[in-house]
Amino acid sequence: MLAACGAAQAADDAVVVTALRHPVSKSYDRMVAGMELFEQRRHLAPGAALRFKLLPRKRETAMEGVEVEIAANSVGIPLEVAPDRTFALERNDAALKEKAKVVPNRKAGTMTWRAEVRTPGLPPDARRLGDLRLECEVGMKAGLISDYPPSFFGWLDELLPQGPSYCHRAEPRYLFFAERPLFSVTLVDGARREVLSVDRLYAGASRDAKWKRGLRYCDCEALIDRAYFVPLGDASWPDGTLVLLEYM
Amino acid sequence: MKVLFLAFLLVAGCAHVEPKPAEKPLGPGEILSARAAQDVLAIGSSTKADVRAALGQAVVVDFSSGYEVWVYRERPKEESTVSKTELVLLFSPSGILAKTRVR
Repeated sequence: MLAACGAAQAADDAVVVTALRHPVSKSYDRMVAGMELFEQRRHLAPGAALRFKLLPRKRETAMEGVEVEIAANSVGIPLEVAPDRTFALERNDAALKEKAKVVPNRKAGTMTWRAEVRTPGLPPDARRLGDLRLECEVGMKAGLISDYPPSFFGWLDELLPQGPSYCHRAEPRYLFFAERPLFSVTLVDGARREVLSVDRLYAGASRDAKWKRGLRYCDCEALIDRAYFVPLGDASWPDGTLVLLEYM
Repeated sequence: MKVLFLAFLLVAGCAHVEPKPAEKPLGPGEILSARAAQDVLAIGSSTKADVRAALGQAVVVDFSSGYEVWVYRERPKEESTVSKTELVLLFSPSGILAKTRVR
């Protein structure tokens, strides 16, 4: 168990895993299913490895000292969290049998999760479309995104009941988060370039005058200025397409 | 001769032009030309008030960091279509125009 380690340096929302009443947790078997899908679909990002990333859901969420473990009745496996708040997961039969949870030392509603698939060697302000396609598929399979109420932004609600096939739509609303606040996103494939519409940034806030009303229900609440969608299912953009991020 | 006269009347009728209806005023966030609008702005010195005075009300996405993104879209040429040309402005927390782009 993670016991008391690290709880002291974190802020109010950081508590020891074993003492947490309502931890933010995910199903271990669903995350393992996401890992299996990654192996099946890794041709989308042949040089990349899969990690999972923890992100703040509230502005006041302290991310320093976040710890994560696989927890069940007789299982407690601490996971190593890197300084960028990513961690790798391993398959453990006992944990699967006991329907374990993956549990950070934070309360429910304070953090969100994403799969992270990064091909090495890309420029720091660039992502690769095949990596993002795989992130979406694994994220959907692993059940990483949080619930949105039916009214939120009018169109995000359709996302949750979908599995990885949702990512094959031309315009899926799967939110990615940049490292810093975004000003624009451009797709580049050789000589072909396309600057994405501002409607694909900030979770689509520019087309919903009342976007702030539902913001607290979105797992993008603390990261809305970093959030973007890409046309994952548009096959005219190959997996090697670069997604260039220009920051504010 | 009669045929010619009738043809003349028809052509003359066609030549009659209905007066153009008055131009509909621009709605919030609407502009006529994104490029022309971009040209009147100065990165590093235009303020929000300057931009509002020049281009009218924008669609504003304001962030807790103090940054604001203002969006203007060109009025579509035909009423039934949606304009895809957009002018996006970024204001720094100090209220000064920091970046622009036309798409």
